[in-house]
Amino acid sequence: MQRSYDRRALLRMLGLGTGAVALSACAPSGGGGSTPSGDPEAKDFTFASWSLADDASKIGPQHLVDAYQKANGGTITGLPIAFPDYLNQLLLQIRGGQFTGVAQLDIAWLSAVSALGKLRDLGPLAQGVDYTDTALSTGQLDGKQYGLPWTTAAIGMIVNQDILAKVGADALPETVSDFEALLVEIAATGVLPYAASTKVAQLKDMLIWMQTFGCSLIDGDKITIGDDASVDALTWYKSLYDRKLIAADVERTDARTLFSQGRTAMYDDALVGKDVVAKQSPDKELINKIAPHPRPVVAAGDTPQAQQWGHILVVVEGEGAASAAKFAKWATSDPTAAAGYFKDVSLPPTTDTGLAAPEVAGDQFTTQFNERVTATATPNPFWRFPQYAQMENAVSEHVQAALIGKSSPADAMRDAKKAVEGLV
Amino acid sequence: MTTTRQRHTGRRLGDGAFVVMLVLPGLALLLAIVLYPLIAALVTAFFEQSLVLPGRTFAGTANIASVLEGDFLQLLNQTLWFTVGATVLPFAVGLGLALALNTGIRGQRVLRGVLLVPWLVPGVVVSFLWLWIFNSNYGVLNGVLQSLGLIDSPQAWLSQETSAMVALIIAKTWTSFPWVMVMLLAGLQTVPPELHEAAKVDGAGTIRRFFSVTVPHLRGIISVVLLLEFIWNFQHFDIIWVMTGGGPAGTTRTFAVAVYETAFHGLDLGKAGAIGLLWMVLLMLLVTVYVRFADPERAR
Amino acid sequence: MTVTSPTQDPTTPARPRTPPARRRARRQGAGGRLAAWIAVVVFGSFALLPVYWLLATSFTPTQSTFQYPPKLIPTDLTLENFRRLVDNPQLLTYLVNSVVVSLITAVLSVIVAAYMAYAFAKHRFRGRKSLMSFVLASQLFPQSLLLVTLYGLFDLYGLLNSYAALVLSFTTFTLPLCVWMLKGFFDTIDDGIIEAAQIDHASRWRIVHSIVLPISAPGLVAAGLFAFVRGWNDFIFALTLAGPERQTLPPGLVNTFVGEAAAEWAPLMAASLITSIPVVVAFIALQRFLVGGIAAGAVKG
Repeated sequence: MQRSYDRRALLRMLGLGTGAVALSACAPSGGGGSTPSGDPEAKDFTFASWSLADDASKIGPQHLVDAYQKANGGTITGLPIAFPDYLNQLLLQIRGGQFTGVAQLDIAWLSAVSALGKLRDLGPLAQGVDYTDTALSTGQLDGKQYGLPWTTAAIGMIVNQDILAKVGADALPETVSDFEALLVEIAATGVLPYAASTKVAQLKDMLIWMQTFGCSLIDGDKITIGDDASVDALTWYKSLYDRKLIAADVERTDARTLFSQGRTAMYDDALVGKDVVAKQSPDKELINKIAPHPRPVVAAGDTPQAQQWGHILVVVEGEGAASAAKFAKWATSDPTAAAGYFKDVSLPPTTDTGLAAPEVAGDQFTTQFNERVTATATPNPFWRFPQYAQMENAVSEHVQAALIGKSSPADAMRDAKKAVEGLV
Repeated sequence: MTTTRQRHTGRRLGDGAFVVMLVLPGLALLLAIVLYPLIAALVTAFFEQSLVLPGRTFAGTANIASVLEGDFLQLLNQTLWFTVGATVLPFAVGLGLALALNTGIRGQRVLRGVLLVPWLVPGVVVSFLWLWIFNSNYGVLNGVLQSLGLIDSPQAWLSQETSAMVALIIAKTWTSFPWVMVMLLAGLQTVPPELHEAAKVDGAGTIRRFFSVTVPHLRGIISVVLLLEFIWNFQHFDIIWVMTGGGPAGTTRTFAVAVYETAFHGLDLGKAGAIGLLWMVLLMLLVTVYVRFADPERAR
Repeated sequence: MTVTSPTQDPTTPARPRTPPARRRARRQGAGGRLAAWIAVVVFGSFALLPVYWLLATSFTPTQSTFQYPPKLIPTDLTLENFRRLVDNPQLLTYLVNSVVVSLITAVLSVIVAAYMAYAFAKHRFRGRKSLMSFVLASQLFPQSLLLVTLYGLFDLYGLLNSYAALVLSFTTFTLPLCVWMLKGFFDTIDDGIIEAAQIDHASRWRIVHSIVLPISAPGLVAAGLFAFVRGWNDFIFALTLAGPERQTLPPGLVNTFVGEAAAEWAPLMAASLITSIPVVVAFIALQRFLVGGIAAGAVKG
């Protein structure tokens, strides 16, 4: 058989390959051009959602689906895809015309999904609904309302008050330098002070610290990563890393686990985190010890930085699109639906009516989170690019290179800038 | 491979239509599932094409140039490290076990069965299992090493460049040594005992007999096992993707990971195609070199 | 296997004869046996300790899995993780899908590969060498690159979200290995058998089906087992080409246990354990074919 690896035969193969390449250069290739088909008025449609896949959260969307089917007839087919693979799979399916209906999206993904050109403008539907302005803005792109806001919050600092109390504190200090001193004090008690993200998957949290130090990330069309502020931020972050005030090998799920075990005093998370850590924790009292706090700032009086976070529902044109749009509106704005969803998964509604409901308004953690974190939250400026994920990834990777000592903070930020510029 | 007799039969059976029908199903599958998609994907190397935006424009060799100017050499270097490591280590483990089992030690049949288990655990589960073992905060590896006093504090194995690569190679070794073992064991069972006896009479020790009798006899199977392992590892994706995602800081990113990331995260089909194109050219060269030097029949 | 080969030619493939190994074993010195045991213990621990940890984790309550340092011998055993599997009928669907896809892949690969390998082994035709190179070279092609186009291709023929998409892909990817194994096997079949049958005016297809394939049964089983594993282990194609109803275990397990919130180690390990058992049992039962099938044909390479 070795004879069959004959070099000449292989070279012949190579030749054949080259010929074929030339041949098929003229052939069209699947470029995502198929037009939506099917009856948009059909009552049945598909509902893509990662929450439906996740054991911890599936009860929320499932209840909505059941209630809607009961009231309106028609069949809603769930398409559960796990979070890590969700965006890729959804893009492929929409691109191939396989998917029509309603889909849950992280607000960061809107520009990638809308680039496929198959999202329905839900602007008319949003008229007359008392969505908050911030919530509405998370579903807007290029002046169109592609998404209806399902839940809107932010990424903030979640703190274990008990551990803070041990070093005599009851809130995070206002400035970064006091914050650093607090971390050192906590480290002396033997727990990890701050389970900040250090793995690429969530190192985008670091962008919020860059903003805290005064880097705007993007100014108009100019990438400002690499400026002095960003280098200062990274130098600071690396100093925390080197002093083990933050730990290696941590992303969101690791941070949640550490927090639920009482092994870290604080970490970055969205509103959704509270339920997750409480359920996971062996300490039944943990839920009473969690509080959100504003992120420290460089100079007293600065606005604390926070990044918007949220879920929206979008509708992909085609079979059942009109019914899907009705469902999206109902799920995001019906007071009963919103209250039920909040009860199931603790994610607050996006309408004034919904937010004023006693269950929501009376929930201390949610109101604190809104006042202390969401109030000053801004969208990530990279989100408007379809390839934002790769941009964040490029920055994260260079941040990590600095953390593990492969390059200096200044070099890392300069390389990150170059990488992002290459992607714009 | 016999020649005269086979050629004789070949002429007798050599009906073109019959051969075509024998070969056709497999060939059709290869053309449809591998060659056509491959060519379509490689063609995109010469275009500016996004996964999400419609249409494409001819870009000449811009994509290829951008890959070559980027981290191509780093990718190549890392891919080779992984590939060589994940080929050599399972080979060593598989060979050791095959030799041991072939001595007919007691319970070898049960052992042989049990040792297949790692191969049958689905690849994703393998990744998660090792991710769990290497976990810096809860991992059992840190627990064991620390209780033995070999490390003073938990190590972040997957967040340091060398240890991350080693961890990946270990995980890959764990899932692939069983098939190497099975192949080599099969080969070993065909070594005629008379050869060993004869060598023994000539006064050859165990080690010399291994190199002068066993290895030459297994040459064919060894070269095929190594070649296939090399090729498979070169394009291995699952374990790297789940365990490190190519990190830390891109130091375990291989071609397979880069292609996937570029296409699905960067949404850049053109650049993904360009990486694929360079990969194929490289692998063709490598295999040609391998065949030139490792083919026992040609080497003679 | 009931067909007796007409000749007693030593190259006729048959089940491996174990006696040589055993004979040799008895003559092995104490030193050799010690070395063998050392190898088994060292490499065996590498192989089996992770399996032990998988087992231990699956019997640990979720909350205790995050203790550090971990308890090497879990004390608070629980069946909680297994009970959760019972509540999740979806996992059974994944298991059934996996078994169906892998089995069909195994059968189809063997059939397709056997014909092709037979042509390579017993016929000389123009382009034979190029074709053999192509079959092997198809392993070199970056599979992650094929994904996007394959998705479009299967979509075009309405095969997405069907068993067919998975079976066809896996069969193709496993073809080179199967063809190579079976060609090795067929090479060892004495041409005299085929010639004798021809003199009896057996048709060419009959020769293949009632003579060549039956005496090659061990090789066919071995090739089939390898093909089975290819289908059983795949993640990325199974994830992309199969919809929720046709999803196999690897993506299914990830979908179920690795969510946005947290990775649930203990239930994941429990599910992997349970779903792997049928295959492990089947392989242990069939393992003599695995070794025997390759042994009879593979050495020629």
